[in-house]
Parts: sequence; structure tokens; C-alpha cells
Amino acid sequence: MREYLLYVKVGSESVQSARAYVTPCFSVDQSFWQEREGCQLHVIGRSPSLALAFSLREMVNVQLQRQQAVSRSLNEEGLAELRKLAVSSVWETAALYGREMAGEQPLPCDWFRWETGDSSVVLDRCDRANDETAEALMGPLLEGRGLLWEEIETLLMHRAVALPDMTAVLQRMVLAERAEWRPGIRLSVKKSWWKHRLELVCDRCGSQRKDIELTQCHTCGQGCAYCTACLGMGRSKCCTPYVLVPCRSPYAKRDSKAMHRASRLCWTGSYSRDQAVAAEQARRYVANPRPGRREFLIWAVCGAGKTELLFPSVSESLGASGRVLIATPRKDVVLELAPRLQRAFPHARVIAVHGSSQEKWEDADITIATTHQVMRYYQRFPLVVLDEADAFPYHNNSILYRAVSRAVQPGGKLLYLSATPPRYLQKSLAAKRRGAVQYGAGRSLPLVSSSTHVLLPGRYHGIALPVPCVVTVQGLHKRLKAGRPIAPLIGLVRESLRSERQLFLFVPRIDDVEMVLAYLTKFFPSEASRFGGVHAADPLREDKVLSFREKRCRVMVTTTILERGVTIAGSDAAVIGAEVAVFDEASLVQIAGRVGRSADDPAGTVLFLQAERAAAVRAAVKQIRRMNQLAKVLRSREEGQA
Amino acid sequence: MMTRCRCVACAGRIVPRSRESAIRSLASQLSQRTRYPVMYRLVAGLALCASCLEQLPVIGAATCRQCGREQAAEGLCQDCHKWTGETLQSNRSLLRYNEWGKNLLSTYKYRGEERLAALYAELLAIAVHRYHHAAAFDCIVPVPLHEQRLRERGFNQVELLAGRLGARIGVPVRPLLHRTKRTAKLSQQSGRTAREESMDGAFSWAGEHLGQAQADSHRILLLDDIYTTGSTLRSCAKTIREHAGSMCHICSVTIYR
Repeated sequence: MREYLLYVKVGSESVQSARAYVTPCFSVDQSFWQEREGCQLHVIGRSPSLALAFSLREMVNVQLQRQQAVSRSLNEEGLAELRKLAVSSVWETAALYGREMAGEQPLPCDWFRWETGDSSVVLDRCDRANDETAEALMGPLLEGRGLLWEEIETLLMHRAVALPDMTAVLQRMVLAERAEWRPGIRLSVKKSWWKHRLELVCDRCGSQRKDIELTQCHTCGQGCAYCTACLGMGRSKCCTPYVLVPCRSPYAKRDSKAMHRASRLCWTGSYSRDQAVAAEQARRYVANPRPGRREFLIWAVCGAGKTELLFPSVSESLGASGRVLIATPRKDVVLELAPRLQRAFPHARVIAVHGSSQEKWEDADITIATTHQVMRYYQRFPLVVLDEADAFPYHNNSILYRAVSRAVQPGGKLLYLSATPPRYLQKSLAAKRRGAVQYGAGRSLPLVSSSTHVLLPGRYHGIALPVPCVVTVQGLHKRLKAGRPIAPLIGLVRESLRSERQLFLFVPRIDDVEMVLAYLTKFFPSEASRFGGVHAADPLREDKVLSFREKRCRVMVTTTILERGVTIAGSDAAVIGAEVAVFDEASLVQIAGRVGRSADDPAGTVLFLQAERAAAVRAAVKQIRRMNQLAKVLRSREEGQA
Repeated sequence: MMTRCRCVACAGRIVPRSRESAIRSLASQLSQRTRYPVMYRLVAGLALCASCLEQLPVIGAATCRQCGREQAAEGLCQDCHKWTGETLQSNRSLLRYNEWGKNLLSTYKYRGEERLAALYAELLAIAVHRYHHAAAFDCIVPVPLHEQRLRERGFNQVELLAGRLGARIGVPVRPLLHRTKRTAKLSQQSGRTAREESMDGAFSWAGEHLGQAQADSHRILLLDDIYTTGSTLRSCAKTIREHAGSMCHICSVTIYR
């Protein structure tokens, strides 16, 4: 059982600078301070609970500042006062904890054990040769990561680094202010005139009290708590140290030639005129050394070639200082993006990081990660790209937004990439400002570019987005269940089968997949082998999607899982039950964006079948129309200029 | 009764109306007619959604009389024929250990999702009501973890269940055992005999003396999360028998078999 010691250091400088520290190994602290300066260390006490020690440290620091305002030195009286404060707040915390755990008995005898210390150590300055090889080994490994204790052990194991005493090495890094260590769950007592409360915050994911479970912990033997919100990434507990090492030194320790090589872009494709302008604008934003502009939005319609737009920015960042992170919501997208970027940057190291990835603990120039894995990075990347900012796990998820913004270095850049940016991003980054140039007569058209965003309203092949055809069918779901004909649907399927095209059929619920398949088989019995259905929980999901890509399967009935990231040439799309809440505006626009993506076949049919009128459907159609209109206005202006 | 409206296994929404038929069929499968109301209430208390309830892999009516394994006919199974002079009277389990169970149990044990303890305790209560009378036991003994394993994991998964089950069926929990041997994880051991050998003498008596008067009529319920080869539970039963006298009656209940 590890014990944490709380002590106050009083420096020898003329201005009193007393501060409290928490340490798991006091001897390391003693030798560290001895090397720096002569000072006095006064022990306040010790406890096995890390969270408790840190909450006391906060309190002691506040009290110290108050004392310093009154008298300039810390005397015996002041120390006794600090020790008394510690004891009383331990007692208070334990009482509050006991109240929350109502009914359960503490493990040994009390919820929190605290031994008041009474020793003081006077240290004179003396130089000692310190072996720094271990630190030199650990530093670069941990740099830019925020890891729980167990994760550090895993990391060291993966990199085949063996250290005799990891605690001591880490503590030296903490004292040198190259790292920070905290409890996984922060504990504090919130006082109010009505009722004192125990406040618990997960330091890793930022969850509040309602996501945190109190528990009797056999690891520390104290009152403890764990976070249920980020449980999938390992237990963040009151007694688990959470180590944050910011990336201070620039990554480019390697010679500049290698950096230059890594940043070389080998991409043979070419941009359309609009794409070139947008890519250049994003690159300029990344290259701009001025601090302050932290966020930038690339708003490009489906099929505008968003990934390719990134290349100049990534190249710029790799050439300037180093690592780039591309975060996307889904594992499929990570696996698809990694080889594409590797092809574009053949001399850079690209890794794909997701839950079951082998490369999770590696170091690379370009990291492509799922959103949850981003939680393990801390101030690591000068450039972070957040792909599909409106997609499922990101949207309205404050944990993941926090994780992404923590992965950016101070003064680094965050680039959002989306076809349907959520309202809050539109408002903060793409809002109309006074003096902005308006296009055409349409006041309602969004702004094409500003200092914080760029909008690409047209596809790379220059042909307008297919506008969905909305049909309201009375009793749609009843008809489906009863197997009565639905003319527009059957017409679309027949037409699509006849002309050898492929068809996406989106349904709102998993159960509907089977039902629609049965419905189709009833009307097209001879074609049954060419129908397929897939949903998120399907064990054969990957095979089925592959068979659809290889055109073995012609009609794919699917839930929203195929709404993004899938490109199939010569396809149509239909939504059955577009009024259901799972299909919001963004998701309907994405579905319409499946159609007509290739230059050979830029047209296609999009059909929204709804049982009743729905606002989201109308908004989606309106958004697509606006984008087409904007693209048209831009094109005519260009022709006028030419 | 339902505190959360989310299924604890699949995080899906719990719709009481759609659950009803699943609850009824499961409850009638688990009990005779006279005890149906009790079973119905227990099953309804599970925080599972309709589809999870339907696919709950409950062990059928015909089981091995000794180890509780599901089989075609009543009687002893192949493995149990070998054991003679058994100290463990019988083992009963509620669920088959399939892929679903594996995932859920590893979320509980290895991920450390302690909230699942409530669900598992309910399942154990169902198992006790299905195979025994609730008042058939004097005490519950959870299988202990080795001290070092306990410190790594932070909690003893069986002890949490025992506490909740004890409160549910009104039987006191007594930690009668210590684990003295640190055995490798089940998944890292190979073979039944290796397992038997490693578990031999893995437990010791924790020293709490039972009242001498009751010692010969003591009915003990051993509790564990899973019965694989049964060597853990047999080793526990042997230790208890050695210290609590030859007349005590030891049964075990586990979640998975």
C-alpha cells in the first residue's frame, strides 16, 4: 500500500515562499531540494489516499498564503495551525463520505486514515551527482501523454523499458515541473451555508459527481471512488495516480532534413479551383504563428474531397514542428484513412490508433485515432484535425470535446472538418460578421470564408448535389408491416435493379432491417439473393459491407451506420421513415451525400419516404438547395471574372 | 423497483411493456406454479431489457445432480463419476457461460464495473430460490481472493455479491476462508489436472469459530462467480470440512457453469 506524505517547503530566499507538496517517496524530495537550495521541510502528515492528500494540499496552500499576508515567516505556531487544519478537514471529509455511503461499513476502522507528522528537516545545499539516465529514458516516452499508473506500466512494457523504481523517477520529473501528477478522481469538500457536499471530479474525462461511484477500495484501503464514464479506458480512481506530461520541447529533435523528408507530399491528384483556394486558406491558418486563433472550420459538402484538402496543412505542420493528430469518430474511418495518408506522405510514419490497435503505444509523425483514444494524449500535437465533428460520439459529448482540446499543445491549432457542422460550431466559427461580402440576392446564403472558416459548397467534379425527393406516404409503417405496396419505393428498387445500380435503403431501427428485407423479398422474389441487411451489432458487418462494395449485393438495407464514410459509385439512396428522430438534419444530408460522388456518374436519385411531415427532412432539403445555390453563384462570379 | 431505466448489460432502453412477456416466460421456466409469484418478482427486478432477458442463457431443467451441468438426462455427468466421497454436496448454477456471459463477467471483474454487482446478486438470488429454499442456509461464505490480487483489482467480486445476496435472502455472510496460494489466472492455466493441483491447499481457515452447538448442523452456502472444473469450490469445501466438523452440509451456488 503506497503512502503519500504532505509537507511544506520553506525556501531560504529572502521572500518567503512556502508551498505544500505531496510525495510518495520523501527521500527523493529531500535529495532533490538539497541539490537546488537550502531549505526546511516540515511534514504535515501522511495518508494512503492520494485524493485526500491532494485536497489537503490545496487547503494548506490557501492557508499558507493567508498566513504570509500577515507575517513574513512560517513559525511553529503557524505549523501547528496547518496540522490542526489538516486533521479537522480529514475528519470532515470522512464524515461527508460516510454520509454518502449510507449504511456501509468502512474497511478497517475509518474512511480515511491520517497520521499527523511532527518532524522537520533542515537541508543545506550540497551538490550531488544524480543519475539522470532513467529520466532521460522516461521523459521522451511519456511526453505529450496523460496516463493512469497502470497505463504507464503497459507503455513501458510495450517499449521494453525496465526501470527499477518508477515512482522515484516520476517524482523527480514532477518536482522539476516537467510532469504533473494527480489523483484520477479529485476530491474536495464544497462548503455552503446550507449543506456541505463532497465534490468529486474525474480528472481524466471531466465527469462530475453523477458519473462517479463511491466504493470500498481494497487497493488503498480508504474511501475511494471511480469514474464510470471513462471506465472503458481503465479505472480512474481516487487512489490511481494520473500522470500528465506536457510536450515542452519541440518534437523536432531529429535533424531538420528528416523532418523535411517526412513532410514531403507525394500526391499525384489535383485540386479543382475551389478546392485549391480552400486548401490554401487552411494551410495559411496552420502556418500562421500568431497565437489566439485556436479553431478553424473546413465546411465542405459531402463528396468535396475533404481528406485531400488537409494535405497542405498536414505537410506544413510536419515541416514546421512535428506531430499531427487526426481524430475521427469511427474505427472504420481510422482504418480507411491510415493507408491513404501513408500513400500521400510516404516518408512520414503513420499509425492507426484504436481500441484493439497494436500501435497504441507507438510514436509517430501522423497519428490517426478514434475519439476515445485521444483521451490518452496531453498537449502533444501542434495540429489536431477533428474529422466529422457532428458524428455520433462527438456530437454534444463534452468529454470528447475536452479530450480533443487537451491534446492540442498550448498555441497549437485545432481544425474541424465537417459536411454538416452542428449549430454551435456554425455560430462560433462561421457566423456572419459585419462588413462581410454577401453573395447574390440570397441573404440566407452562408458566408463562404472568414478568418475562422472556409466553406466549399460544390463537389470536386463541379456538378450539383442531388436534391432529395420527399414523398409523404400515409400509414407508411403499417403498409410495410402488412406487405402492402408502396409505389415510390417499389418503383425505385425496380428501376435500380433494372439499370444495374446499387441502392442504399436506410431504416430507423435494427428490427426494421429484417422487416424491410422480408417486404422486398415478397415483391422481388427472384432477386432475393441480391438483397442484404446490416446493422451495428451484426457480427458479419464487415463482410456484408464488403460484398456491397464489390457489387455482389445490390440493395443494402441498413441503419444509420452506413450514413458516412462509404463511397460507392453509381448508387441511389432512400430513407424509409425519414420522420423518425434518429434521422436529424445532419444525418439526412449525409445520406443524400452518398449519391453521385464519382465524376463518371454524378447524378442519382435520393428518396425520403416519410409517414408525416417532419422539420428535419425539410431542413435537410433546404440545406442541400442552399449549398447548390451558393455553388452556382460562385461559379457564375468566376466565369464573369474570367 | 427499477431505479435506472437503462439495461445494464446492453445500455438499451428498458420498455416495461415489451419486457412483460419475457419476464413471464422466464419466471415460469424457472419455477413451479406454487412459487411462481416469488420468481416473477425476482425476475422483474432484473435491470435488463426485453431482448437481453429473452436471450438469457438459463440452464435447463435436466442437470447433473452433483455439479449442476446442463445435460440431456438427470443423473451424474462424466466428470462427477470420478469423484467419490464428495465434501461439496452439490453445485448449482443459473446461466451457461456463453459469449454474452463472458463479456459481461469480464466487464464486471476486469474492467471493474462494480455497478453490475446488483444484477449478479439478483441472478444469484434467483438461483438460490430455484434450487434451494431461502431459509436452507445458516451462512454464506464467499470464495476469497488472494491479498495481492485483491489489491490489484481493488475489490473482491464475490464478496460484493455475497453482501447483497445475504441482505436479499436474510442470511449472514461469514468470511471463513483465507487464500494462501497465489494461483495463476484461470485463462493462463492448462488442463484439468494442473488446475486441481494448483488449487490443492490454496485456502486456509480464517479462524472464526462457529458455535460448537451448531457446528454439526451447520448448513453453509459457498458462493463463486463461475464453476469451471469445480476445483476451487472443492478445495474450499475441503478446508471448511476439516475445521468445521464432518457433519456440516456444504452447497455451492455460482452464476455461470
